Amino acid sequence: MNRWKKAGSFAGAFLLTLATSGIATAQGPTQADLLHPPKDSWPLYHGDYTGKRHTSLTQITPQNVGSLTLAWAFQTGSQAGLKSSPLLIDGILYFTLPDNVWAIDARSGHMIWRYTYPNNKGLHIGQRGVGAYKGSIFFLTPDAHLVSLEAKSGKVQWNVEVADASKGYWTTMSPFVVGNHVMVGVSGDFDNLHGFLRSYDPETGKQQWQWNSTPDNLTGGMTWMTGTYDPDLNLIYWGTGNPTPVLNGTARPGDNANTCSIVAINPDTGELKWAFQVSPHDTHDWDAAESPILVDGPFKGQPHKMLMQASRNGYFFVLDRTNGKSLLTVPYSAVNWSLGIDKDGRPIPNPAKEPAPDGRIIAPDEAGAGNYRSASFDPKTGLFIAPARDAYSIYFSKPADGTYGWSGADYGVWSKGAIKAIDYQTGKIRWEHPIGNGSSTGVLTTDSGLIFTGDSHGNALALRTADGKTLWHSNTGAIISTSPTSYELDGRQYVLIGSGGVLFSWALPENTAASK
Amino acid sequence: MNTTRMQGWMLLGGALTGVLWLGLSSYPHVVEAQTASNTVQQAAAHIESGNTLFQQKCAFCHGRDAGGGETGPDLTRSKLVIEDVNGNKIADVIHNGRNGRMPPFDLNPQDTEDVVAFIHNQEKKAASAGKRKGVDVSDLQTGNADAGKQYFQNACSKCHSATGDLAHIATKYQGLQLEQRMLYPRDAKSRATVTLPSGEKLTGTVEYNDEFTLGITLPDGTYRSWPVTKIKYTLDSPQNGHVELFSKYTDDDIHNLMAYLQTLR
Repeated sequence: MNRWKKAGSFAGAFLLTLATSGIATAQGPTQADLLHPPKDSWPLYHGDYTGKRHTSLTQITPQNVGSLTLAWAFQTGSQAGLKSSPLLIDGILYFTLPDNVWAIDARSGHMIWRYTYPNNKGLHIGQRGVGAYKGSIFFLTPDAHLVSLEAKSGKVQWNVEVADASKGYWTTMSPFVVGNHVMVGVSGDFDNLHGFLRSYDPETGKQQWQWNSTPDNLTGGMTWMTGTYDPDLNLIYWGTGNPTPVLNGTARPGDNANTCSIVAINPDTGELKWAFQVSPHDTHDWDAAESPILVDGPFKGQPHKMLMQASRNGYFFVLDRTNGKSLLTVPYSAVNWSLGIDKDGRPIPNPAKEPAPDGRIIAPDEAGAGNYRSASFDPKTGLFIAPARDAYSIYFSKPADGTYGWSGADYGVWSKGAIKAIDYQTGKIRWEHPIGNGSSTGVLTTDSGLIFTGDSHGNALALRTADGKTLWHSNTGAIISTSPTSYELDGRQYVLIGSGGVLFSWALPENTAASK
Repeated sequence: MNTTRMQGWMLLGGALTGVLWLGLSSYPHVVEAQTASNTVQQAAAHIESGNTLFQQKCAFCHGRDAGGGETGPDLTRSKLVIEDVNGNKIADVIHNGRNGRMPPFDLNPQDTEDVVAFIHNQEKKAASAGKRKGVDVSDLQTGNADAGKQYFQNACSKCHSATGDLAHIATKYQGLQLEQRMLYPRDAKSRATVTLPSGEKLTGTVEYNDEFTLGITLPDGTYRSWPVTKIKYTLDSPQNGHVELFSKYTDDDIHNLMAYLQTLR
């Protein structure tokens, strides 16, 4: 057992005593909280280190979800749409928009403080949320700075530059905390930039280590989104982005290793343990940044520690997360760009489907079969629930487009969205729930057999996990670009869905028997 | 100081100012040069302000140089941008977005003007650099029109006619626009036939359809909607014929079809 787990276990036992005796923890979350998140918390982007985005709460059930009602709503007043997963720590919710962090009372939606980062030239495309550790909140800015705020006041504690925004970097992800490591990834493939993962000291902001996704003679491999962590193996799992130039593959022959890959890294040292390439020699902008979900369970009769990803490129991957070996690779949406799967479980890119001067029809499109919106794994049914798209597009690239940045042009032609329930052992789709012409909302699953997600029309949905049937809905009035979260406070279960500029908090009516 | 003296100083100051003004205006080219360079400076300031706004709000989709980015088109070769004069077309798109494709942005008039200035500046730069990232009509001439005509007879003629609905299609659309619409007519809407509990039948164009509600526009322009559980309805979506072809096309088929359609001028 590694030292983080030992420390966590001890702290956990101690804190459990405190928690059950009703004394609030002084300054959360601690590593113990992160290892075993209490019911009244959501201390990490995905809820826990496994990334399943699955809650053990069972108050809201398929039988009573039809009476789900609005508990409260918080209006940011902003035209920008929410994309963050709020963290819940000690009764306070922390969530974001670019340049902005809010701390609100999770019981009433009352705002406690708001922090606004100064005007800057970074890309304000989105903000996935904060990280938190021992009374500090960590926030990434559009111009690639990492800011530490005091959780109780929103006061700035330190501010470090992660990357030079003037070169084309920006940051959006929720910083990932493991032990005394605050880990952040970077974005930016309009320029030929080197991708990296970096770890900072939570108290001082001092850099601890940096892992580079690309060697000197290759660019790309952005580390866009928050990863997952296995405390037993002491490995973090992260997805990396595409190589640059984006659509021009002739400028960079070969696999372009560690781009479009799932990598396993030691969080204490930044050392790479293994890498599995989801899209070798990618020429379609298909980052492998989708949720790398960790599941322990049987695979073809044998117990396995697995990692699953419904990837941008249309393939569903199951890996052995101890060594990165492929267990299963199967399409989950329309794909037409590969010549099949190689002996290592990697799709083989078809050279005839690389972007060309007169265009190539490609499935999926650049936005992909999966993307920023979280998938979820339900242990009870063994179903991997993917918010998926099927799409077709045309990709162009000609020598005149050069070798810098996009180096070409791609155009989506058609798409449709569906929540797809994938049997992880076979890749077979057990059921499919159409949601319109796209997919933008992430998925949360519950132990009581529910899925919370959204469709292309702004409806928040509750589906039955077993068969995908709709059991509840409410139109939120905007396209939902968040991934739902859930927690229990004062014996009442809440589901949070941010939509447009409003954070909606749903719960069963206060006076129903179930909520007593 | 007393009033008389103050008046004296003011008179002197006024006279000196007058002399200065008269003096300067006898050097008109100096004044004009200053005014001109101020205008250029101001224009540059507006473009730079527009650049900042563009990086923040637009660059992710339209590229940092407005030449196209993730999911968004190249603005430097956009017909709308080329035809725009001082934002008379661009402002609309910024403020209202494009349904399903681009969100609206609530920019105030000055900020809008600055973004427009930046876009036009990028358009000028792209034109002169000759290094556009986009698709020219000349890029889409690699197919064989005869083979395309054959493909058309087999795959498209059930619904389309070269002398009927597609007559002069190549005059209406060219290049990428034509190819995109050929692959999928994104403005096409479904038609619905609704049977009410009373037995009355209504038909119209589908305006809204999620799992819960169907909304149609009747031939007279009236909008009507119903919970789907309260009606029976059928949908007519001939545009799905295009979707069925996606997995069947070879790239040669598409280029050949384009070659053929481009003869329908």
